[in-house]
Amino acid sequence: MITDFPSAPLPLPSEDELTAELAALGGEAIVPKGLRRTIFPVITKEDVFNLLLATRQDPAAVVAGFAEKYRDYVGAAYALPTASGTASLHAALVGAGVEPGDEVIVPAFTFIATAQAVVAAHAIPVFADIDPVTYCLDPAAAKDLVTERTRAIMPVHTHGLPADVTAIRELAKRHGLAFVEDASHAHSASVDGRIAGSIGDAAGQSLMADKNFPLGGEGGIAFFATADAHARAVEYLARHGIDYRMSWIAAAFGASQLERLPFYDAVRARNAALLGEALEGTGLFSPPHVPSGHVHAYNMYRITLNPEAAGLGDLPVHAVKEAVHELLVAEGVPAREWQNTPIPCHLPFTHRAGFGNGHPFTLNPGAVRDHVPQDFPVTLRMLESTLVLCRELRSPVEYERVLRYADAFGKVARRPDAIRDLVREKDYPRPYEKAARLG
Amino acid sequence: MDDYDTALVLSRVLTSGVVMSIEKSDRELPGLERSLTRASGRRHACLVNSRSAAIHAALTGLGIGHGDATGGAGLGPPERSFLAWLGVTADDDVPPPFALLTHADDLSDVDAVALVVDLTGLGFGPAAAFLTDDAGAHARAERLKIFGSYDLRTMWTQEESGAEVVPGVQFNYRLSPLVAACARLALTKGARS
Ligand SMILES: Cc1ncc(COP(=O)(O)O)c(C=O)c1O
Repeated sequence: MITDFPSAPLPLPSEDELTAELAALGGEAIVPKGLRRTIFPVITKEDVFNLLLATRQDPAAVVAGFAEKYRDYVGAAYALPTASGTASLHAALVGAGVEPGDEVIVPAFTFIATAQAVVAAHAIPVFADIDPVTYCLDPAAAKDLVTERTRAIMPVHTHGLPADVTAIRELAKRHGLAFVEDASHAHSASVDGRIAGSIGDAAGQSLMADKNFPLGGEGGIAFFATADAHARAVEYLARHGIDYRMSWIAAAFGASQLERLPFYDAVRARNAALLGEALEGTGLFSPPHVPSGHVHAYNMYRITLNPEAAGLGDLPVHAVKEAVHELLVAEGVPAREWQNTPIPCHLPFTHRAGFGNGHPFTLNPGAVRDHVPQDFPVTLRMLESTLVLCRELRSPVEYERVLRYADAFGKVARRPDAIRDLVREKDYPRPYEKAARLG
Repeated sequence: MDDYDTALVLSRVLTSGVVMSIEKSDRELPGLERSLTRASGRRHACLVNSRSAAIHAALTGLGIGHGDATGGAGLGPPERSFLAWLGVTADDDVPPPFALLTHADDLSDVDAVALVVDLTGLGFGPAAAFLTDDAGAHARAERLKIFGSYDLRTMWTQEESGAEVVPGVQFNYRLSPLVAACARLALTKGARS
């Protein structure tokens, strides 16, 4: 049996540790080995009990009950529970009217499922660059890609920050496009009080167990603004013999977790604010930018490096990032890249076999492009100059742990000399020169 | 399987804390794969989250895709519709390239290259598997799933892991460990009684 208890509590941070030798150079790590594990998802005794209760209920009613409860929480008009987030995006797209051969504009920086869901709908993903500040789809870049065959635009609320929905809605309106949200990172995120998933004509959202709002394994949900769109998706799945139904086990777990989602959201917001303030003070690092009126859900926390601020502006930014990454990991901070190349440069989109023999790409050859990473300069710059905290900041992380993360960033930022030495010693490749990773 | 067994399995997996299908330390999905390969005498199992997904996995494994023709004799209306959606033409006079079975069938007594086993009837939600002796077919079927046969630690670095099996369209057909754990116990109990 695995117990949720760590072997010992994290010691409280102390000033001395900030100026001690870097762990990579033989000093003590800020987050000691053996105390680095975070628990996610948190599974409580009522989760267990609620799941046991569900074994006595009608499975279809368990799934429907969950979907209704969460639809109400999000404030969407109609909901369709699915087996996964990818399935929910597929359902959202066809519900919104996407037909075979249509073009759907998606960001070049997202998880691969966003684009694969478009292919699942027998449509063609057209990739746009991102905004240099929010790292979400750039509406201006999207506008340049609109053609006669564009049917929908699907921004991603990347890492939990809602995309520029006002500009995207305007663009969609002007060209008669459907506006479909990929809200997979953005549970409880909002713009001017409207929760992600309820903003577009339709939305898809992953509820798999690694998301801020986890179901018991795999799951997703599609939302629709109209009864027509909802009915179109339901009819499509039935007509084509596609079984995307959610398991009642996943649903029962989710219904139980939903009760505590606002609590976890509050812990994440508190931790993000605390860490953000500390990062601002380092010069080398800056926290995610959150435009006014937007509530960020922090499914991931992407930190931007500013080498100039640390006197490292003469070095290639990707090399500074790699060196900092090494130093942070040695301090016990589980920083990651989360994506290292634009999605259109992943094998499924360079080979484009699709369902076989190139379908659906062959339906609309004019929409298909052979991309190189340099086609997306903003995405590349972001990949070269940022690092991400994922589940280690997602769980209800203890106060002392966030303080220690903050101290680790501070400790590394004080040592531009060590960063410079590493960059001199090592020949770091650019992110997209390494094998493409999904996460 | 009675309610007590289900309750015990659910409690056990929840206590382990591992409910995510792409978790390195998950033991439930490999456990169900083992039960199915043992019961069928086939070398490989590809677990998925529905009967239609298992048909898709089998066809992809066998190299049958959009624009191809295959056998469709005896398939029901949902399966025919699904094949049409995949762009695969079904010939009514030819048997399908896979045996379509359920958990209630004796898997040890099937003479087919590819087995599609629907586990939904066990009562834990849509679940199914594609079973085969062919390692290549299994690898192609796994790649139909996003993250298929990989995990959060390795995160599918394309060059490191079998670039000869380049995926086309991919779905999240991944099965949940909680569902797999319940299905496995139900299969074992069913086999005993
Ligand atoms: C942005 C984004 N879209 C879609 C998905 C697909 O969701 P799922 O894995 O539940 O199919 C994910 C994550 O997994 C994601 O991060």
